[in-house]
Amino acid sequence: MPVITIASPKGGSGKSTTSVILGTEMAHAGAEVTLLDCDPNRSITLWASRSALPPRMAVLSHVSESEIVRTIKQQDADGRIVIVDLEGVASRLVSRAISQADLVLTPMRATTLDATIGVRALALIAEEEEALGRSIRHAVVFTMTRAIKSKQHTAIEASLKGQGVDVIVPPLMERAAFSALFEFGGDLRSIPAQGRMDGATENAAAFAQEVYKRLVEASQ
Amino acid sequence: MSHGNAPFRIDIGNLKSRAKDSSPQAVEKVDSAGEKHGFVDREPKKQRGRKPSPRTGQVHAKVLPHIADDIANEQKRTGKTQGVLIEEAWALYRSQKATP
Repeated sequence: MPVITIASPKGGSGKSTTSVILGTEMAHAGAEVTLLDCDPNRSITLWASRSALPPRMAVLSHVSESEIVRTIKQQDADGRIVIVDLEGVASRLVSRAISQADLVLTPMRATTLDATIGVRALALIAEEEEALGRSIRHAVVFTMTRAIKSKQHTAIEASLKGQGVDVIVPPLMERAAFSALFEFGGDLRSIPAQGRMDGATENAAAFAQEVYKRLVEASQ
Repeated sequence: MSHGNAPFRIDIGNLKSRAKDSSPQAVEKVDSAGEKHGFVDREPKKQRGRKPSPRTGQVHAKVLPHIADDIANEQKRTGKTQGVLIEEAWALYRSQKATP
């Protein structure tokens, strides 16, 4: 089953939030999902400890550099979508997790700093494609975006698209409901209402659907 | 982008994982590709050397010279530290005291 690696060497770019939103939405849509928590900050483990896991979801914590390839392999054969959440550093764990991915998502905030550092993940993917002799599907998702796109956002998006980078639309917007997932656990349907829940749910589902589309294309 | 109200469903049959090389040779290639871009080993290293002893209490005993020699010889014979020998002797003393 497909492996989605969420990778960016930039901390605070929204990797764990993206992982939880994607995992819970895909599980809600009927898939069996395993989240691998490879971040020493244990954000996913913290989310999982807040309440019972949504149906069809499992979490594996404390996956280290030496175990990552083997763990992904084990889960890969298990008939599940595997989502790998990584720490925001440039580590060997990141490069190994990318090597086992069917799709790599690089979340980035629409800032020059996030884009500059996030692009290092894209350079690494290109290097690994060459080293392994296989293409690795990848895409960028903007996170914590506002309803009105900033000039910086527009410019970064245009620059990435100009370089042939796949940018997922819709981005994940800045929403109270998304950050509240780590306060209450569960998914967007189980947490107490935070702001415009229908908007958050629609955003999350549309994002997950776009990722699913890419997974299907990648497996053709 | 509108997805209307149609529920998003995943057809797991549409999703196929592609074969990925996970051989040690492939991992080595990936590691060196990563190193070129600064993605290096950042695993916390285990502390080397002997673990600190839990024996932090200390006694200041002066004994007769032949007892000191005896304890030293017993230490050499058993490979135990003098502290462990004193603990064993103390345990024996306590158990004998407890016996009426």
